[in-house]
Amino acid sequence: MATTASINITSDITESLTTSVSASMTMYKADTTIDLEETTGLAQRTFSGTPSQVVLIDVSATAVTAGGAVAHKVYIRNTGTDKTKGFKIFLADAADDIEEIGTLYGQDWMLMPWLATDANEDIMVLPSSSEKMTLEYAVFHQ
Amino acid sequence: MATTTATLTLSSDMLSSPINISASTNLAKATITEGLELIEMGRGTITEADGSKTAEFGLPTALGADKAAKLFFVNNSTNPEHYIDIDLHDTNIGRLYAGDWMFIPFGMNDTASEFVIEAEPSGATCPYEFALFQEPQTLVTHS
Repeated sequence: MATTASINITSDITESLTTSVSASMTMYKADTTIDLEETTGLAQRTFSGTPSQVVLIDVSATAVTAGGAVAHKVYIRNTGTDKTKGFKIFLADAADDIEEIGTLYGQDWMLMPWLATDANEDIMVLPSSSEKMTLEYAVFHQ
Repeated sequence: MATTTATLTLSSDMLSSPINISASTNLAKATITEGLELIEMGRGTITEADGSKTAEFGLPTALGADKAAKLFFVNNSTNPEHYIDIDLHDTNIGRLYAGDWMFIPFGMNDTASEFVIEAEPSGATCPYEFALFQEPQTLVTHS
């Protein structure tokens, strides 16, 4: 039950120095080389109306092993094509503070580890526009 | 105009219907289609004995509010028990175990957006690599 992810980044920011980044990983359980065995599957959520910060991935509603030695991964993508609109992505920390990770503009995607310690580590999003905007997302977990 | 393209290929056979994700994006400045123009790349090694450290890239030259940046970071350890704890300021995101990588939008709004790393467990040594793509910094007056 392998889950693999590869990234390839190419850039011509510097004309005289070609930039290329490549990496691949197999998603294993923490401290092992045993494959992750659970996933939420690929989901999609559409937002419209007055923008507000909402929970996208709720720790308590996801059957993840909570905190400690875990190697969960979260994938999120803004499926829109408009680079002028984006979703701010946040993580709520243990002190109920909300930490901004960054903004996913049209077509931008992210893949990150997720500790999912408790309900204070929900993943939250804030669309920049009242127009229809869509995210797709998945959690791969143990 | 500079073009930086990040492509993800993800496949999983956990489900009876496999998940196959192919995603590609051109990394652009905030709210426009013009490409990012600044790269920081490098490598380092962090050990458990180092404790919790702010990574050497990005800060202290914070981009300011609502700018665009993307960060790639990989733990190149080959020991499956050696991981790097990843924090944004004082918020723990998660652990990158040996070979794990991450790619995130990076707010870098202010110095509170620092990217903090810590190798674990006891005795761990984790080589890592990073690439930060961002909007240009404001030039400063010379001293």
